[in-house]
Amino acid sequence: MTGDSKEIEVYRNPIVRLLDVEIGYKKTEPLVKIPNLEIFPGEIVAIAGPSGVGKTTLLRTIAGLVRPISGSVEVCGAVSPSKPSKGILGYVPQRLGLIRHTSVMHNVMIGANAGHNKSLWSILPSSLAKKYASEAINSMGLSDKLREPIRRLSGGQQRRVATARTLAQRPSLIMADEFLSELDEDTMDMVLTAVTQYVRQSGAALLVVEHDVSRAKSMADRLLVIDDGRVNPFITEATAMEVKI
Amino acid sequence: MKFNEILSIRGNFLIKATPFLIFISSIVVFNGMVDDWGRLSGSIDNLFVFIRESLWPPDWSVIEPQAYPICTAYPLIDFTCSTAWIGLLETLKIAFVSTVFGMILSLPISLLAARNLNPWWLSYSSRFILAAFRSLPSIIWAIFFVILVGFGPLSGVLAMTVYTIGYLGKLQYEAIEGMNKTPLYAAEAMGLSRFETAFQVVIPESANDLISQAIFMFEYNFRHGTVIGIVGAGGIGYYINLYLKFLQYDKVIAYLIIIFIVVLLIDMISIFARSFFTEEGDMPKPSWFHVILPASMIKK
Repeated sequence: MTGDSKEIEVYRNPIVRLLDVEIGYKKTEPLVKIPNLEIFPGEIVAIAGPSGVGKTTLLRTIAGLVRPISGSVEVCGAVSPSKPSKGILGYVPQRLGLIRHTSVMHNVMIGANAGHNKSLWSILPSSLAKKYASEAINSMGLSDKLREPIRRLSGGQQRRVATARTLAQRPSLIMADEFLSELDEDTMDMVLTAVTQYVRQSGAALLVVEHDVSRAKSMADRLLVIDDGRVNPFITEATAMEVKI
Repeated sequence: MKFNEILSIRGNFLIKATPFLIFISSIVVFNGMVDDWGRLSGSIDNLFVFIRESLWPPDWSVIEPQAYPICTAYPLIDFTCSTAWIGLLETLKIAFVSTVFGMILSLPISLLAARNLNPWWLSYSSRFILAAFRSLPSIIWAIFFVILVGFGPLSGVLAMTVYTIGYLGKLQYEAIEGMNKTPLYAAEAMGLSRFETAFQVVIPESANDLISQAIFMFEYNFRHGTVIGIVGAGGIGYYINLYLKFLQYDKVIAYLIIIFIVVLLIDMISIFARSFFTEEGDMPKPSWFHVILPASMIKK
């Protein structure tokens, strides 16, 4: 898939900027504290850490689905609680969020429409959206499954559809939650290559949650490890180590 | 034994005993309402007398062509000029039109009523509208519309449509609220508007439930459509009411047998049609044979 920097909004400033942020679902029990985190255009950042530590919550906070308990979350120029405009942000949830009864094409077109049709009343696909949807499906090796309902696909294929939906959107920030799990080595390489190529060429950023630290290291420019530890349940500068690779 | 353990044992006992206590309380409440149980003693005899003297045998003249207007249909299909056929067809038409209109009108309201898509004030005000439509049974709506627009199928369609909006709307917003939340999260993160989320995500995701409910509603509307004719809102109920007034119960039982057979047929078609819109869409579709006959007979 070829990226075209003219077609997406490129931010020279950090795409994501978190300052003194506490995240979680209860005000009295923040899951993670992040003193400072900036993610720049063209950068791939992986978040790793033990299960239940708050990796997905962090991603959902940046996606605007969960409000931060305190601090400032800025994504593509929009400071929480305001959100970036339509199509700027692409999200591959851990449970994918696909519509099970409809086809691969319908699911990918949702992303393509979000990215290439700025009207908030758009339900008819544009030709540009169709083009990007087809490109994204091809890049995920699913061109023979266009009309296949999602429920008939394997777990790995469904994960590729969710990734294609985000690629077709051509967002400025891709947030992916364990998007490589359930994939065999070859497919994983194919998906990673397509996503990485898009990020590098378009100047978008990729923020990925990955429980496998070695895989996270191999794909990311930067690895953010969230470690709650036994003594201090919250992330502080001492317990959260940001490792440059 | 610790206090918490005792509480836990009592809690378990209460949970297991609850259904039994509910049953006992229903008996007690029922007993409080009935002043004389002896009235039950003659009921079976009364039933047999009623069947022998008034209901049986059914008067099948109701499926013969009416004397006026003169029937022009071929002799083989001259039953289409009968009151049973005309009434039945009208009831089916009322059920079909009111289900379609009701679904079209209830879907936007149920999208607004779903708590997972809207703020509480919008959701609860939409639920209030649906509850208001549902609070009166269709026969009361039929009386209301007969007063407004007069006798005939128009008042029947209006009554059934209003009731369908209330009833189907509730089923629809419950289906929407029960849908998987992750597609909504993905749509929200992408920045889709509520309108786009409704049309691109919510309706496709819950389409199977919505279609299945609409088929069920058609079946329901047909059954209730037979009743609203009694108050003059069109359909087979009109003829039933007519013969009830003249105490011609043998004709009434003929209509009831016809309604029973049609309801059974619609029920079977409904089961078959709904099987296409369930989560197990990849399972083999049931044959007509499977729908009609019990599994034990099919094995044989």
